Amino acid sequence: MIVAKRKPFNEIKESVSGANRILILGCGTCVAVCLAGGEKEVAILASQLRMALQLENQNVHIDELTIERQCDREFIEQINTSVNVDDYDLILSTACAAGVQLLSDVFDHKVVVPGLNTTFIGVAEGPGVWTERCRACSDCVLADTGGICPVTICAKELLNGPCGGARNGKCEVDPEKDCAWVLIYNRLEKLGRLDRMKQIHAPKRHSVQEHPTTIVHEAYRQRYTV
Amino acid sequence: MNNMAESFQEALTSGKFLIAASLNPPKGTDLEGTAGVIGKLKGVVNALGVYDNPRSLMHMSPWAVCRLVLEQGVEPIMHVSCRDRNRLALQSDLLAAASIGIKNILCVSGDHVKFGDHVDAKPVHDIDSVHLLSAAKSLSEGNDMAGNPLKGSPAFCLGATANPEADPLEPQLIKVDKKIQVGASFLVTQPVFNMENLKRFVDHVRESKVKVIAGIDLLVPEEVPKYRDGSYPGLFVPENLLEEIAGADIEKCVKVAGDLIKEIKSANLCDGIHISAPGYEDRIPDILKAGGL
Repeated sequence: MIVAKRKPFNEIKESVSGANRILILGCGTCVAVCLAGGEKEVAILASQLRMALQLENQNVHIDELTIERQCDREFIEQINTSVNVDDYDLILSTACAAGVQLLSDVFDHKVVVPGLNTTFIGVAEGPGVWTERCRACSDCVLADTGGICPVTICAKELLNGPCGGARNGKCEVDPEKDCAWVLIYNRLEKLGRLDRMKQIHAPKRHSVQEHPTTIVHEAYRQRYTV
Repeated sequence: MNNMAESFQEALTSGKFLIAASLNPPKGTDLEGTAGVIGKLKGVVNALGVYDNPRSLMHMSPWAVCRLVLEQGVEPIMHVSCRDRNRLALQSDLLAAASIGIKNILCVSGDHVKFGDHVDAKPVHDIDSVHLLSAAKSLSEGNDMAGNPLKGSPAFCLGATANPEADPLEPQLIKVDKKIQVGASFLVTQPVFNMENLKRFVDHVRESKVKVIAGIDLLVPEEVPKYRDGSYPGLFVPENLLEEIAGADIEKCVKVAGDLIKEIKSANLCDGIHISAPGYEDRIPDILKAGGL
């Protein structure tokens, strides 16, 4: 899932300055799971903003709404069944940046600002802890590395690791972090697949990850072909 | 000592015990100090290794210092780091190096940017040291990495680094095997303090006939906190040695380095040594003398 973190409050407050009627729009999917931008977090942010702005004698009206997700037009288009977007000067979105952008596209006559910093694709290790696992490189090598991503976990993104800096199995960059290639070695040894590590892995093909990328499912190609 | 009739590559295969030392490029354009160090080490070493933004500290590009080394009649080993340049720039630099007479290339991953003085720099690592060795080999065979033919190709003597003190060692050995497979004819090790570790490493690579040049660092008291806290990636100094160095004067530090050389030479495991003494390059002849060389 996408993991995000709420922006510092002062930065959010600065980004909404000048608006008198604000809609804080939450997202009920990834950012709700990582406790950054779901319904509860929207409520907390709304309270904080109201208090802060009242302390400055600013008379700002703030409403709250959370939809299923903001990366799908289907759900964005339903917003107007709950509120009238035109009643607001500004929408403060607590979706990931992908959702913020789609929201901006749909309501391109409205100021839309992000309440979060989108950080990574990751997994929940336990309640309240998420770790980055994927860099969306479009050229997955996990079959050769025992399910451990060297692009994400290795500080130098080595495809033929380790480097000479690993100390007691820890990365030279952070002694709290495991060396990705020691992890890969241990996993492949356990699986009896060390031959995969002994192969020379070719350089990354950056051409497969041109940005921005669009994927059209082959079943839908006709719909989108002019 | 430095017989220019015999190149570093020839000396590698001659069976002689090789002596190399490293040189830091200047942080600036002033090459006077560098020229002085080269002058002092001429005739003392078989080759001078020139660092590439060592520990991610920004310095002059090594090719320029290698040119100075050549002009002063000494053979350089140019370090090339994968940290700062993509595959295009790395190949370009290799061709440029060859065009000014640089033959010996040491391919390294590069210490992470966090250790240096530009911590917000983007670590490139477009390719790793195995790919870089392979690319350099490909260039010397007349093609670039993408298979395009070259008009004029370099002749390289390729080397890489290794860390016999790594724990665990097995992943390092897999990496070293790859470096040898793609063309490394010599390995410069990170400093070794435990002869058992060195022996285990040398036993593993022996069959490949790759030359192993043991790294020797001049350890100095003012850097002890950094040796301890991991600020020198790949340098794992035993605690007893750190304690010995901590209160020592420079003469003692030179003796410690000399004793390590003696130990490595008498273990008869390596084909040479590579001394690193940043800021104290003028003491390298004393270190060699203390080491019985």
